[in-house]
Amino acid sequence: MEALHETGVTVRPATPDRTAGGVLPRWVALPENTDEVAALMRVSAAHDLAVVPAGGGTKLGWGNPPERCDLLIDTRRLLLGNGSAVEHSAGDLVARVSAGLSLDVLDSTLSRFGQELALDGAPRAGTVGGTLATAVAGPRRFRYGTARDLLIGITVVLADGTIASSGGSVVKNVAGYDLGKLFTGSYGTLGVITEATFRLHPIPADRRWITVEPASLAGAGHGTAELVTALAAALAEPSAIELDWPDLLGPPTMSALVEGVAAGARAETVRRLMDGYGSALITAEAPTWWAVPPGADVLLELRVPPAAAHLALRAVAARGLPARVRGSVASAVLRVALPADVDEAAFAEFVTGLRDDLRRLGGGLTVLTAPSEVARRVDRWGPSGALPLMRRIKERFDPDRRMSPGRFAGGI
Amino acid sequence: MPTKTLDESARRFEELLGPGSVITDPVRLRTYECDGLTHHRATPGVVVLPESAEQIAAVVRICNEYGLPFVARGAGTGLSGGALPRSDGVLVVTSKMRRILSVDVPNRRATVEPGVTNLAITEAVRDLGYYYAPDPSSQQVCTIGGNVAENSGGAHCLKYGFTVNHVVGLEIVTPDGDIVELTDVDPGYDLLGAFVGSEGTLGIATKVVVRLSRLPEAVTTLLAAFEDIERGGRAVSAIIGGGIVPAAIEMMDALAVEAAEAAVACAYPEGAGAVLIVELDGPAEEVAHQFGEVTRICRENGAFEIRVADDPVERAAIWRGRKSAFAAVGRISPAYIVQDGVVPRTALPEVLARIDGLSREYGIRVANVFHAGDGNLHPLVLFDDAEPGAGERAEIVSGRILDLCIEHGGSITGEHGVGVDKSRYMPKMFSDDDLDTMQLVRCAFDPRGLSNPGKIFPTPRLCGEVPGVRKGVHPLVASGQAEHF
Amino acid sequence: MDPKLINDCVHCGFCLPSCPTYVLWGEEMDSPRGRIHLMKQHVEGTPLTPEMAGHFDACLGCMSCVSACPSGVRYDRLIEQTRAEVEQVHVRKPDDRALRALVFQLFPYPRRLRAMRLPLRLSAGLRRAIAPRLERINPSLAAMADLAPPAAAREELPRVLPARGPRRATVGMLTGCVQGEFFPQVNAATARVLAMEGCDVVIPPSQGCCGALSLHSGQERQALRFAKRTISTFERAGVDTIVVNAAGCGSTMKDYAEILEAEGGGWADRARAIRVADLAEYLAALGPVAERHPLPLTVAYHDACHLAHAQGIRSEPRRLLEGVPGLVLKEIAESAICCGSAGTYNLFQPQAARDLGDRKAERVLATGADLLVSANPGCTMQIASAIRRRGDAPIPVAHTAQVLDASLRGLTEVP
Repeated sequence: MEALHETGVTVRPATPDRTAGGVLPRWVALPENTDEVAALMRVSAAHDLAVVPAGGGTKLGWGNPPERCDLLIDTRRLLLGNGSAVEHSAGDLVARVSAGLSLDVLDSTLSRFGQELALDGAPRAGTVGGTLATAVAGPRRFRYGTARDLLIGITVVLADGTIASSGGSVVKNVAGYDLGKLFTGSYGTLGVITEATFRLHPIPADRRWITVEPASLAGAGHGTAELVTALAAALAEPSAIELDWPDLLGPPTMSALVEGVAAGARAETVRRLMDGYGSALITAEAPTWWAVPPGADVLLELRVPPAAAHLALRAVAARGLPARVRGSVASAVLRVALPADVDEAAFAEFVTGLRDDLRRLGGGLTVLTAPSEVARRVDRWGPSGALPLMRRIKERFDPDRRMSPGRFAGGI
Repeated sequence: MPTKTLDESARRFEELLGPGSVITDPVRLRTYECDGLTHHRATPGVVVLPESAEQIAAVVRICNEYGLPFVARGAGTGLSGGALPRSDGVLVVTSKMRRILSVDVPNRRATVEPGVTNLAITEAVRDLGYYYAPDPSSQQVCTIGGNVAENSGGAHCLKYGFTVNHVVGLEIVTPDGDIVELTDVDPGYDLLGAFVGSEGTLGIATKVVVRLSRLPEAVTTLLAAFEDIERGGRAVSAIIGGGIVPAAIEMMDALAVEAAEAAVACAYPEGAGAVLIVELDGPAEEVAHQFGEVTRICRENGAFEIRVADDPVERAAIWRGRKSAFAAVGRISPAYIVQDGVVPRTALPEVLARIDGLSREYGIRVANVFHAGDGNLHPLVLFDDAEPGAGERAEIVSGRILDLCIEHGGSITGEHGVGVDKSRYMPKMFSDDDLDTMQLVRCAFDPRGLSNPGKIFPTPRLCGEVPGVRKGVHPLVASGQAEHF
Repeated sequence: MDPKLINDCVHCGFCLPSCPTYVLWGEEMDSPRGRIHLMKQHVEGTPLTPEMAGHFDACLGCMSCVSACPSGVRYDRLIEQTRAEVEQVHVRKPDDRALRALVFQLFPYPRRLRAMRLPLRLSAGLRRAIAPRLERINPSLAAMADLAPPAAAREELPRVLPARGPRRATVGMLTGCVQGEFFPQVNAATARVLAMEGCDVVIPPSQGCCGALSLHSGQERQALRFAKRTISTFERAGVDTIVVNAAGCGSTMKDYAEILEAEGGGWADRARAIRVADLAEYLAALGPVAERHPLPLTVAYHDACHLAHAQGIRSEPRRLLEGVPGLVLKEIAESAICCGSAGTYNLFQPQAARDLGDRKAERVLATGADLLVSANPGCTMQIASAIRRRGDAPIPVAHTAQVLDASLRGLTEVP
């Protein structure tokens, strides 16, 4: 504690309202810039403190609970070196932002210039750092890609306090390794993300959602598959193709988004495509469920090759639990929510069974979040052929296993 | 490296691959001494031409056994010396691995061997209504394996991104000789993202799964001629500022146009100080709207002639000059250096003016061809290698252009890669800590440093070393360019 | 080998996918860029090794790389110079030497060729029967036997064929050696088409080989002799334009001035005074006057390398063919890649020639065309024989001139 205070950074004893996946840290530090993070990390290295970086806390419970957590580094006070939280080069469609900035503040800053970070689906109360660390993405991934595709530069602090940057502030840049890719989705196991630079997009002039409720998916899975394929290949170029299936006994809803000056006219084209599957409605507002996770307590993410999405849906339905499914059906990244009080054994069977089904389709499943008592018997992450290489990466970056230890795939 | 070891390994390779796939004759070996960048040369110790991932893995394991460095090479078109061989090592050439293994339209992907050319993928799927988006100028020659190594871009990456945004799976042979699959569905670190662009230093890609993109409903290409680069540059800023993301915005200056004209008779408007090529694609309604906007913006910024191409033949005619520009410079200058610096788009006018100044100061002509939309400059520094001192002056100009890019917060390479050519500039762009951290990745993949050593990093890192915490200020911070970089 | 021409190569590699041997083998030494590198090594002092010579010999001389090169490298000149050097310096193996001697003492001489036709006039059945045995003994001889087309009846051509209708031009016509002996019907069609389009066609009976075969194989002296003789012949005939229907001959004759530059004696100027035009090039520029009658045919047009790459003539023959009512033109995939015939290549490099022929045959058949049209006798022979080898139904082949001839004469099919 003494040593942490000596860094000059605000450090407080932890309180039970802020735990890392249920693990109560000993201290919470509130650094204000990258150098302060580095100072904290050096002290942590010297005293063998396990560190978990945290932002808005919206996804802090995701992944395995860390094996230990001495220090929670709260990034929300972090600023760039120049004292601001955003450095927006509107003419270059680029912004350098502090990892501690919340997405809603970033959104409003950029929108003043008619620009946006085309990354939806992440909780807006969450921070840039947390969004990167968990690699969450939403409906518009279909057109714009995910965080990894929009990130062009990153600054991190490693376990030993080393400050490292890669990439830069220009979109086109292949100098050196892209550490941004490695840190995106690394769940705080490689270091602390302190700054990020993104490529931005102009906010589309107009948007339309075309929404349809096809006949029951369980009975007409193929119809869904054809519709998704047709939408994905549509020359009207939807930005997103989403599915919402709140009740596996009822019909799912499908909704596509078109963006651009001519969104109105293009929406008509898309509606004609969708009309064959039910009656399609065009709206200027998103459906209420759009880009919202289907649940918060027990949340799974499935990935399969795009053409297998309908088979994945059927596999979920066949498991017989009251699941809610929602997600990017054309990219075949789907979220499944289960009730918070799901039985531990039933959950384990659901996860392992579904994982087997999906593996046969060339996909996989991860448990994003679930209470420890529910997920005790399952591997939240599932297998990965490249685990040995990943462990070697971890060993190089964090040889003492002090960064969010155990939180990640394969117990990394 | 004792020749004996090389000879012995060559015999092992022959047993493995058959004598026809191993090259040891010195005259033949020398034809592999360089890639598209000719001023770095090294005759490889031995060349192997494997035909499968298993063969590559076996070759790599033999390299490990003898401690031989190995370098992968596709078509040898790289412009940073990334495939520069090692005279004490093995050159693994993938040019015989050129099968398109599958085209999977429902999943919008194709699986190909590394020696397949970039354009061959598009040709295989075009009739199905798809294409492979990244389009380096050398696309009819360069291989997808090389594209993965260099994270290649191209004119259309302004809208569609780079190789890394279009590769959804890889099979690689690790520097230890293991075959590992990297996918976008498996949990864990994004090793796929880390591998793409690692310039062959993390292993050899043996199978590449690429995303196929739908051919757009409409494509309109527009060529606008301006009196000078400045006016053209203003038009570019206004287009981007107007919320339009074209598929490509390319600019050529008068000298580059002259070269292209000499090579392919592209018949660009006469008297143009700058030629701007803007390609718009997407849904027809959007393209029509953007076309109106872009035409208006170009006229407002002084375009004196605008040509429009709506069909593939006319479009090819407009692009012909641009796509041939690099090699075409050979027609107007005995020798040249191509640079690949990047600056923020808003800094383009100033940087171009400074390049012009450098050109005058050193009496070295510089032709500019660039991806204006993303600030990626390709200055072609022209010189006569028969003239004493000209080469050195061209080197200086070339280096100072990179300094300019760094000074403006840009990059030393937008798409050609660092390779052997620009590794010495890496410390100007990155701190020691940055570079050491990057090398942690390399040490994880390749602790013995056998996979394409000597590329990217100015100084190799001994992987046994524990990185210490360095003191000192980042060069960009020191120069006042950044607070933290 | 001119070092200046070698240095024009910037090593960009754009030629690689255009090179037939690189397409086959994927090896740098057998690509244009690699061969130029070998030339450079040699110029810089590396002796001409058998390996080096092998890679030069393996070049088809198709000039596809010349079309593909953005830097304007004169690979055509370079390989000719190199071949001459190889012939002077390199000592070939005895059987290779014997074959070459045979070819160069035979092909360029129409009269000798005529004598050869007798033994080659074996029935197709007999030829198939001996082919496998010949293949074992000598693949090159097997190739020769395999490629020899069924000889057509000779059509004697007059010294002058007068124009039909008002005379629009007077042209000389090259009859060539292989064309004249193996495909006399093509020459007859050429003469008729020219006449029907309003040309007086002068056909000097004393003409011989133009020198192309020799030049493309490094037999420089022989080539020069033939070139001079051809020039004199047409000078005496009093024409200032020679129309050529064989792509290989046309491309060499267009280079006469350059080849003869070092000869002195005003030869280069004399060469420049005579205009050489390919038949398609000439007809396209002249414009049609004769009526085209319909030919309901699906035609696959094959680009002969010496027409498309060496002379840059691609659109003209296509335009002429499309000008025939009812004719549907199909493009052959990989049209820029050589069929493997390449003059004498199929005789000296039978295996590579076969592989390329097979590759081409596959793509020709994929078009589903009823007729294969090309402007070079070698290509036609090569592709037809590859199709025969596959065991597929043979596709009829014709020269552009024959298609036009049939249409102009109102025939219902191409004879």
